[in-house]
Amino acid sequence: MRNDYLWDGSGEPDPEVQRLERLLSEFRSYRPAPELPAANRYPSARLRWTAIAATVVVAAAGAWLATRTPPEGWQVARAGSGSGRLAVGETLETGAGGHATVKIGDIGVVEVEPNSRLRLIRARRNEHRMALEVGLIHARIWAPPRSFVVDTPSAVAVDLGCSYTLAVATDGAGLVKVTTGWVSFERDGRESFIPAGAACQTRPNLGPGTPYRQEASPAFRQALQDFDFARGGDPALTAVLSEATRQDAFTLWHLLMRGEPGQKERVYDTLAGLVPPPAGVTRAGVLRGDRKMLDDWWDQLGLGDTTWWRHLEGKWPESGAGR
Amino acid sequence: MDTTFALSADFGTNPSVSASPVVSISDDAELARAARHGNRAAFGRLYDRYSRMVHGILLARVPRSEVDDLVQDVFVLALRQLSALRDDGAFGGWLAMIARNRAYDYHRRSREWIELPENLPAADRRTPEALAVMEAIRKLPESYREPLILRLVEGMTGEEIAARTGMTAASVRVNLHRGMKQLRQKLDCEGRS
Repeated sequence: MRNDYLWDGSGEPDPEVQRLERLLSEFRSYRPAPELPAANRYPSARLRWTAIAATVVVAAAGAWLATRTPPEGWQVARAGSGSGRLAVGETLETGAGGHATVKIGDIGVVEVEPNSRLRLIRARRNEHRMALEVGLIHARIWAPPRSFVVDTPSAVAVDLGCSYTLAVATDGAGLVKVTTGWVSFERDGRESFIPAGAACQTRPNLGPGTPYRQEASPAFRQALQDFDFARGGDPALTAVLSEATRQDAFTLWHLLMRGEPGQKERVYDTLAGLVPPPAGVTRAGVLRGDRKMLDDWWDQLGLGDTTWWRHLEGKWPESGAGR
Repeated sequence: MDTTFALSADFGTNPSVSASPVVSISDDAELARAARHGNRAAFGRLYDRYSRMVHGILLARVPRSEVDDLVQDVFVLALRQLSALRDDGAFGGWLAMIARNRAYDYHRRSREWIELPENLPAADRRTPEALAVMEAIRKLPESYREPLILRLVEGMTGEEIAARTGMTAASVRVNLHRGMKQLRQKLDCEGRS
């Protein structure tokens, strides 16, 4: 669109915006690119042969060392008992009163609380995976999304770049509370996207419930739990919808893909009252699960854009998965 | 079941707006692919294209004195992690996410440090007026802060912001306009008081 000065500098200049542009240009940076390892060059023939010979020696030494180096793993520091290494396939138990700090390669740190048991499944440079069988962990991950995955008995927690707390009860139920960034809770194609300040529960055989604000009203949370896990049906949904505020819109957005026929229509109407759908998003389209329309509506919620996680994972919560 | 847990983003009429052409995502994909295979020149081109975006994202979140160093960190980290990027066409959105995560990580690591006030007289060569406007922007919600800084500080157009960060143009437009409205209100209030 032209003639929108704030958008692209076109049209009639807005004096206030021009003033701010002048003032704030002081904050621009002109620093050059960082020093990076030198690019590959073409060495002389002599150097090439020397390099080839050196490569053979290094490869042989590497093969020998491979039989001697410990398997991939994570560094673990335990309160009062020093540090050690957790190898792939091994289990870490903290016990009553125990606590451990686990360094996840160079991408993050997990604090493990007492009475927790976890197993290391994979420890590669760009892919780290563990199973939390029971207990409580606090994860802080600063790598790109999907670098760190935690299996629980009832869902898989996928880090989308964030810090969060994850608990697993002895019956396999789980709860994730997100502090910064995003977590995705996934199982059998059913996904919940949980932003900072939100939480999501999961149950064995049912998978992830609907994410909600940690500060949502108790009545809202209870009704949502009933709807998700206790076959609360229409009465529970009615309570959820009547308690929902503008800030709960992301919860209702998830429910658009989860309710049974008849329920989705009610969710649509309530959500439209809280956050009007943008142009091009129609009731019929949303109710049939039109992905673009749902994405466009999500982008109106003020929680960031759908685009980045779509590109990164290409997954989508299953439409019509009623309970 | 009662489960209880113990839990405690021809512009010739205005020289301050980016004159760079609209981003070609396919070019970026080519550059990302080449960079992944060790082509440092390709990575340098990506730096040229994206350093303003990364700078703006960080400026919206961390103290100004830390921003330049963190920009460098973000690109070094991106280079190391490039093999994890599944869709080269999504490079911009992926890099933006790394920058946001680096900002979160900065705050996590510096929790125990006391931050110096940003407006110490000798600490900054910027004009008091510019500092005041920047502080007003930094008090806006995050979803408005980032596009406003990319537009007003980095000189990117709305279209460029959308293309580089992977956000939709509609979303950037809404956030720019809502953010600008809130910024005007804040500046008006401060001007009166």
